[in-house]
Amino acid sequence: MPVRKHGQHMKLFKNKGKDETTLRRQRVEVSVELRKAKKDEQILKRRNISIHSKEEDPSLGQDRAAEIVQPSLEEIVEAVNGEDTQLQLLATQATRRLLSRHKDPPINQIIELGIIPRMVEFLGRADNATLQFEAAWALTNIASGTSEHTRAVVEGGAIPAFISLLSSPHMHISEQSVWALGNIAGDGPIYRDVLIARDVIPPLLALVSPATPVGFLRNITWTLSNLCRNKNPCPPLDAVLKILPVLVILLQHEDKDVISDSCWAVSYLTDGCNDRIQVVVETGILPRLVELMDCPDLIVMTPALRAIGNVVTGTDQQTQEAISAGALTVLPRLLRHSKSVIQKEAAWTLSNIAAGPSHQIQQIITCGLLPPLVELLDKGDFKAQKEAVWVVANFTTGATVDQVVELVRSGVLKPLLNLLLVKDSKTILLILDTISNLFLAAEKLGETEKLCLLVEELDGLEKIEDLQNHENDMVYRAALDIIEKYFSGEENINLEPQTGQDGLYDFSVEKQDFNF
Amino acid sequence: MELSDANLQTLTEYLKKTLDPDPAIRRPAEKFLESVEGSQNYPLLLLTLLEKSQENVIKVCASVTFKNYIKRNWRIVEDEPNKICESDRIAIKANIVPLMLSSPEQIQKQLSDAISIIGREDFPQKWPDLLTEMVNRFQSGDFHVINGVLRTAHSLFKRYRHEFKSNELWTEIKLVLDAFALPLTNLFKATIELCSTHANDASALKVLFSSLILIAKLFYSLNFQDLPEFFEDNMETWMTNFHSLLTLDNKLLQTDDEEEAGLLELLKSQICDNAALYAQKYDEEFQPYLPRFVTAIWNLLVTTGQEVKYDLLVSNAIQFLASVCERPHYKHLFEDQNTLTSICEKVIVPNMEFRAADEEAFEDNSEEYIRRDLEGSDIDTRRRAACDLVRGLCKFFEGPVTGIFSGYVNSMLQEYAKNPSVNWKHKDAAIYLVTSLASKAQTQKHGITQANELVNLTEFFVNHIQPDLKSATVNEFPVLKADGIKYIMIFRNQVPKDQLLVSIPLLINHLQAESIVVHTYAAHALERLFTMRGTNNATLITASEMAPFVEVLLTNLFKALTLPGSSENEYIMKAIMRSFSLLQESIIPYIPSVITQLTQKLLAVSKNPSKPHFNHYMFESICLSIRITCKANPEAVGSFEEALFLVFTEILQNDVQEFIPYVFQVMSLLLEMHKNEIPSSYMALFPHLLQPVLWERTGNIPPLVRLLQAYLERGASTIASAAADKIPGLLGVFQKLIASKANDHQGFYLLNSIIEHMPPESVDQYRKQIFILLFQRLQSSKTTKFIKSFLVFINLYCVRYGALALQEIFDSIQPKMFGMVLEKIIIPEIQKVSGQVEKKICAVGITKILTECPPMMDTEYTKLWIPLLQALIGLFELPEDDTIPDEEHFIDIEDTPGYQTAFSQLAFAGKKEHDPVGQMVNNPRIHLAQSLHKLSTACPGRVLSMLSTSLNAEALQYLQGYLQAASVSLL
Repeated sequence: MPVRKHGQHMKLFKNKGKDETTLRRQRVEVSVELRKAKKDEQILKRRNISIHSKEEDPSLGQDRAAEIVQPSLEEIVEAVNGEDTQLQLLATQATRRLLSRHKDPPINQIIELGIIPRMVEFLGRADNATLQFEAAWALTNIASGTSEHTRAVVEGGAIPAFISLLSSPHMHISEQSVWALGNIAGDGPIYRDVLIARDVIPPLLALVSPATPVGFLRNITWTLSNLCRNKNPCPPLDAVLKILPVLVILLQHEDKDVISDSCWAVSYLTDGCNDRIQVVVETGILPRLVELMDCPDLIVMTPALRAIGNVVTGTDQQTQEAISAGALTVLPRLLRHSKSVIQKEAAWTLSNIAAGPSHQIQQIITCGLLPPLVELLDKGDFKAQKEAVWVVANFTTGATVDQVVELVRSGVLKPLLNLLLVKDSKTILLILDTISNLFLAAEKLGETEKLCLLVEELDGLEKIEDLQNHENDMVYRAALDIIEKYFSGEENINLEPQTGQDGLYDFSVEKQDFNF
Repeated sequence: MELSDANLQTLTEYLKKTLDPDPAIRRPAEKFLESVEGSQNYPLLLLTLLEKSQENVIKVCASVTFKNYIKRNWRIVEDEPNKICESDRIAIKANIVPLMLSSPEQIQKQLSDAISIIGREDFPQKWPDLLTEMVNRFQSGDFHVINGVLRTAHSLFKRYRHEFKSNELWTEIKLVLDAFALPLTNLFKATIELCSTHANDASALKVLFSSLILIAKLFYSLNFQDLPEFFEDNMETWMTNFHSLLTLDNKLLQTDDEEEAGLLELLKSQICDNAALYAQKYDEEFQPYLPRFVTAIWNLLVTTGQEVKYDLLVSNAIQFLASVCERPHYKHLFEDQNTLTSICEKVIVPNMEFRAADEEAFEDNSEEYIRRDLEGSDIDTRRRAACDLVRGLCKFFEGPVTGIFSGYVNSMLQEYAKNPSVNWKHKDAAIYLVTSLASKAQTQKHGITQANELVNLTEFFVNHIQPDLKSATVNEFPVLKADGIKYIMIFRNQVPKDQLLVSIPLLINHLQAESIVVHTYAAHALERLFTMRGTNNATLITASEMAPFVEVLLTNLFKALTLPGSSENEYIMKAIMRSFSLLQESIIPYIPSVITQLTQKLLAVSKNPSKPHFNHYMFESICLSIRITCKANPEAVGSFEEALFLVFTEILQNDVQEFIPYVFQVMSLLLEMHKNEIPSSYMALFPHLLQPVLWERTGNIPPLVRLLQAYLERGASTIASAAADKIPGLLGVFQKLIASKANDHQGFYLLNSIIEHMPPESVDQYRKQIFILLFQRLQSSKTTKFIKSFLVFINLYCVRYGALALQEIFDSIQPKMFGMVLEKIIIPEIQKVSGQVEKKICAVGITKILTECPPMMDTEYTKLWIPLLQALIGLFELPEDDTIPDEEHFIDIEDTPGYQTAFSQLAFAGKKEHDPVGQMVNNPRIHLAQSLHKLSTACPGRVLSMLSTSLNAEALQYLQGYLQAASVSLL
């Protein structure tokens, strides 16, 4: 995991190696997932089933059903490979129909027929627009399947054919090609880069104009987003530089789907190294993204938040750009959003801002983020709570003493200590580190004793004591460390001489008021 | 070693010998085995023996030896030789699983442990077949085998519960899930089926339930890091079955044992854990199942008995409810008045009852009882769980819950009143209920800090607590006595002072109780009351209020130490210390008797010091006796020396390590009490204190330095005249200390005392050497701590010997040294000096350099004059610079100045802060102004012109303020 740049304050803390991990975190910490794949993310590949779906409906009138005689697979192979254009069209249409049915399209069987190269040939039949269109549609749906399916289409030679069809005089053919290319690009970085190398971008961008119908524009935007998508490697810089200006325009569109996919595209472009973030920042798009982050529609808010979240994994300066664009004024609402996924993403974003220098932390306070943060720690869903813990951990690492006091005053301690019961070693360790940071601040103020009492009152002490039995070595040592440093010498503090007329024990330290 | 019968025979004989009670036989055999364990085939010979030996004892012994061998040798440590040859490794991995599965249970457990140790290193990459091999056994239908596999899997997978998320870990878990989750689910279903087909077969059921427990544990491990896709898809199967297992009962599975949890209890307890895991981490997915589990667990609680064997189950189950009822979106599950009443009545109240087991602990294992009850190490107890549930419910339903419980409290008290000797436990439960209901936040130091306002604590105290404590018979109903005392203790901040004063004689009276718990609580309660603070930060309870009770208090406290079981009772000793500290001079009449008893105690425990807290408070009490008495009558110090030195000598002679740091501290205190020359008895000891062996123990260093400082303060001239030959030894100690980053500050303490007190001529010949030593350390390994101490020292030197002497000695070591130190150390670092006295010393020293050092005015050093003045004004006015350079963090953690032996620093042996410039300079700012005035009179015009040309404006403004305050002006 690349560790983000961090401020001077790191020097003040021990075990630096460990603390660095609490700073800026990119989205993907662990690439292996145990969970079900996320359902709410943007779709990678799509099948074209929207039109003519009635053809499959068995409840249709008999006359209609009779009109369409579905040939057998053998007949299809024969016709496609034959020379009769009419039969070619009927067979291609039949194939497309099979691939467009709602349930279980027989993609594997069609591939096994070996007719893909022939279909690719049909794409070049400028004389027969209908055949071109049917072949394009069928290939689109094959490419929408697994990686293996997509590969079959690519290896059939479809890429150059589709790219040249982008400039087809027939809009529906051009649109279908955009779709097919989107599916190919969505397969992963290899085919994406093959497309880019084949110069897919200029003809694609040429399709965007004020006159482009909304439906078509949605398809283009989605395909563009797939061209921006995926890492290892990320898309070539010159391609990105070509796409970005168009994305900036598309983000101003009024259609939600267009905006949503544009936001996703930006979120992919910002999900990487700081140089890439810089490229996006320089377009001046951040204020618009922040505005969209506040949009009531989940399909817009989610990718916009994601994009801003990615930006703040960048340098302090890049983070500052997001802050200046107003990100912190929107985040309080998102932390309180009814969807826990949004709460979680918002908290993740905030955690990276909190990893910044103290003047950025100050803006977190000024923008009123502490109350919703404390609420989230207290009542949020577990995943959101975990992110909230990161916020607090990063905050206490970089904040000034006054800022830490502000944090404690906002009531963070109680929910934080309660979370020590959580069944996740990493979170527990983060909380223990945070508590150590709080004590460091308290020591500077001469308020260690007061913090000790507060921790004990909130039942934190017994939880920390209990963690000395934790199976995880680092957790156990962190707990032990706190107990030894702050809670084992109770008597010495307690025993401080109280009288003092004789001057004998009159050197007790003047205590200031604990201002938490 | 070959795999031969002869070798098997030899090994058998040596294994047998390792079981011999006679160390003369056992040790050489163990040595022999260690010497051959590096040979090839050794582990295989052990495996052969544990499988085929004729004697069972050899089989078991071989299996244990094998496991320990694996534990010591299996891991391959980088840069170290591989301790097990590759072919043995392969053979072990190929054979161990079937061998484990076919072995009797005793051996199976050892081999299972061995597998998990190997697995920790080799699984999954270097042991790819393990999972398949295990899963295949699920089909065997033999539950002895299946349980072996499950146990092994559990020991392999349980680390998923506490390890940090990482790609490596998750890849492994994913691999395990892919191979294991479905077979485990099928096994789970099949086992449950079998449970119903064998519902009447007790022995089959036992095996099957052992499997279910292991399966439930595996579920917990596999679901811990995140909710796996497989388990999300199969949640219905698992949760429905878990739910029905929670409600299952079968007479055949009930055990007669009251203590040990049976299979059914263990299974249900694990299911509660599983449900709690899902409720906490996967709330969104688990929500549809949660209400069912709440009902089932609640019913479980209502129907589960009081026996100890159910404790873990009950406390887990209650904790589950407690964690759920606090969450806003489950509030509705508890809201109904009937539900609340039912939970209070059937779950909380029964689990608060004082049980036979508690009574047993109270009487026979009081130390443990006190630890649990007083110090809160009761996390897993039923009472504690019930208490947490009360607090959880009070979050949303404080009013109704308080109302419901008030009724119960009253009826329980009525029951008690009807027949106290039979029904005393009802009152105990009532007190416990009131306590848990009323306390919202608690600390050891202050007791309850936030109370439920709906409970009238004082009224309950007056009506129900005090009467018990007023009873003439201190030994009647000891549990209720302990409850009452504890009530005072924890609600001491809520009960009004007049009521506390009424309680004090009652508590003193209970110091005589035979029950260890009761007299310990009484001592502890008194101790806590004596530390309470009233207005003006003074103690709440004053010495004069205690006047009538002094004699009986001291008598009873010391008598309590003679009660059976309490001869080293730390609570009592702490109460003694606290009483001394509170009562001050009113204890003087009793000191002769007190000090006799304390010395006797000291003599007794020094034979075998075992209770560090007790010992610590004992020494504190001794210190207090000395301070209080000598304050009134300094001459009395002699009688303390007389009483103590004999025991101290014995401690030093017998080298009782735990006590030596204490002895030095008490001796320092005694020596500091002397007003005149140092007594000869101390001087006789002086050479011994310089013995290197004493300085090797880090715990001795701080108190010994302190003691030597006391010697220097009181007897510097005696040392110079009568022990001049010891001065190099003394400086040797300084050198030893200065060499260590951890102890250098102690070295400076010593050096400062030497410079301050020793007659100059006696150290003259060593001075240059001292500085050279310091410069070397400065050059080779300077730390912030060292620099701070160094700055204080050179300024102290300057104050004592004059600025010119300082400049001369520096420049005599190396030309221009003085300027270099000024420029590189003093000016840039002076801001780091902390501590009022330390800053003052530096201020006075620098003032001297500025105003009493001619080379500063007329050599190349002159250019440093303004920067130095600027730095001095900075020292006066700027906040302390507490930044620490990067590389020093690690030093600080390990070598923090302070006492290494945890309990050795005695607060009441505390040293008076010493200000070596106190008499000379009162206000260093004014002193600077006056000194500058003097300088400007000597060379008119020069000071002013330097100031006006180069001092920055802000500093100049401060300086003008000082001049004004001193009513002087510059010429």
